[in-house]
Amino acid sequence: MSRTGRLTRVLGGVFAALVGAFLIAPVAVTVASSLTETSYVTFPPQGITLRWYAEVLRKPEFLSSFAVSAGVAVAAAAISAVVGLAGGLAIHRYRFPGRAALETVLSSAFAVPTIVLGIGLLQWFAQMGLASSPFTLLLAHLVLTVPYAVRLVLAGLAGLDRSAEKAAAGLGAPPFLVFWHVTLPAVRGALIGGAFFAFITSFDDLTVALFVVTTDLQTLPVRIFNYMQYDYDPTVTAIGTLMVLFALVAVVVIERFVGVAKLFGADEEHKGKE
Amino acid sequence: MTSTPLTSAKTPPGTDAPRGRLRLDGVRKILGGKEVVSAVDLETEPGEFLTLLGPSGCGKTTTLNMIAGHLTADGGLIEVDGRDITTVAPHRRSMGMVFQSYALFPHMTVAENVAFGLRMRKVAATRRGKQVAEVLELVGLDGMSERHPRQLSGGQQQRAALARALVIQPDLLLLDEPFSNLDAQLRVRLRDEVSALQRRIGTTAILVTHDQEEALAVSDRIAVMADGVIHQLDRPQEVYLRPATDFVAQFIGEVNALDGTAAGGGTCEVAGRKVSATPVGQAPAEGAAVRVYVRPEVVRVGSGDQGEGLHGTVRDTRFLGSRIRCVVSTPAGEVTAALPFDARVPAAGEEVTCSWRPSDASLAAR
Repeated sequence: MSRTGRLTRVLGGVFAALVGAFLIAPVAVTVASSLTETSYVTFPPQGITLRWYAEVLRKPEFLSSFAVSAGVAVAAAAISAVVGLAGGLAIHRYRFPGRAALETVLSSAFAVPTIVLGIGLLQWFAQMGLASSPFTLLLAHLVLTVPYAVRLVLAGLAGLDRSAEKAAAGLGAPPFLVFWHVTLPAVRGALIGGAFFAFITSFDDLTVALFVVTTDLQTLPVRIFNYMQYDYDPTVTAIGTLMVLFALVAVVVIERFVGVAKLFGADEEHKGKE
Repeated sequence: MTSTPLTSAKTPPGTDAPRGRLRLDGVRKILGGKEVVSAVDLETEPGEFLTLLGPSGCGKTTTLNMIAGHLTADGGLIEVDGRDITTVAPHRRSMGMVFQSYALFPHMTVAENVAFGLRMRKVAATRRGKQVAEVLELVGLDGMSERHPRQLSGGQQQRAALARALVIQPDLLLLDEPFSNLDAQLRVRLRDEVSALQRRIGTTAILVTHDQEEALAVSDRIAVMADGVIHQLDRPQEVYLRPATDFVAQFIGEVNALDGTAAGGGTCEVAGRKVSATPVGQAPAEGAAVRVYVRPEVVRVGSGDQGEGLHGTVRDTRFLGSRIRCVVSTPAGEVTAALPFDARVPAAGEEVTCSWRPSDASLAAR
């Protein structure tokens, strides 16, 4: 390898390391400061204790908020996958009135600031007489997650050769089995990715939830946010650390069963030819 | 039911009559308000290799899709072995289809791809494995069964697709531009292999292609299509030497088209000279305006004026390796001859007569 080539590699490595450090630093600070013995958040931590984790478990409102968040997030993930699949198939396969409009709305949904969405939903739910409940929260989150799922499914379908479906039918597969053996595997990664994204979006959301929840019904991010306005003790960083751990476990589980690389479209092309 | 070796697919046990007789009767298809297939009639013999040849948009692929059941005919009748399948769903027909894009299932191995049709037919796993191994050997893919499609070359993928189509012992083997994605050398090799294989196992095959050389090389008969109708349906030699319409003449190879008047008895007058050719279909009435189609390969160039044939002056001769191309200016226009390389080469300016055997040229109303 030439000298410039080596230099480029070294510089590239340094750059990658810096970017990595920049991304991980806030997490590292949170995790470290959750271990402090002081009753206020500080970095670097002073002393090592797990006291704040015990504190978290002693606060039932955090546990119930976690249950609300996790429940809504799981539901958002499942519904996003199903609606994403149906919507993606409809847009990809059929020409119907309003199809172009629907596609535009779905692809520009990201552009709407979540705070605007929150205000809008607050009005809307009030008009409809919908009381604040996990259900309204779920509806709000679906507005964020379904467009993403649909788009992922559309991308998956774009990579599917329609001839493969014809081939399967010709080989004797009735429509449902064509769907099951040929179409579904092509969008499997998209569905898992869409569900994963929906789960994270819903679980992490603060902005929309702030408008939709009440004092009785608070998601974990809202609970943390409210808690921090009055107490800024390391309980908050302990919860933060637990959430990071939770996400890590989720990623590991998904990696174990599907491969995270696949979620984000990387394929195993490099496995070689012939 | 016992395992049936693929090579006897022509007459499976329990049936006396050979399978794979396809009949299309007045089949029509309208897509987007336009009639893309208009009243197509054709009938195959069992075991025949029939090609639908034509430019893109001529309706050949639409016709194939109606045979496969992916499109429903808007009129007419499609029959296989006497059974009306015009409106039967694709999965209830028995058709193995091979596509230009290979259309393998990317998440399955080669063996799983090939076994798919057998699984749909609920063939027991052990027998399935045996049949898959057999057919993979037949197409030269033994040892590749555990690979995924993306780990195969284009030629290997198409062999796998062919194996997948053949293993179900289909009534018809439908080939939709199967060689178009391959590079030139491989295309010729695979096409010859497929043709040999088809002859060996005796499955009726319908090939769709726009490549005239491919069609001539593999087909028992060719249906030349344009604008949704079959212009000519005949053996390759017939289609090549005696094109029935202007379209067929121009689409396949190079042709000399000479305008004249019918003179009866398979002769006509072109620029005042008597010229012989074989009428395609009904012989045109005497005095009718006709056109004579002569391929350059069948034109003989003799020196001087020989009385019959077209008399003219050599304008140009070129050595092209396998052939010598000789252009003769005649009163009927320029006539191109492709002479064998060992023929006497007439010099430019020489007086010559162009002639051909009557059976090597066709005559059609204009």
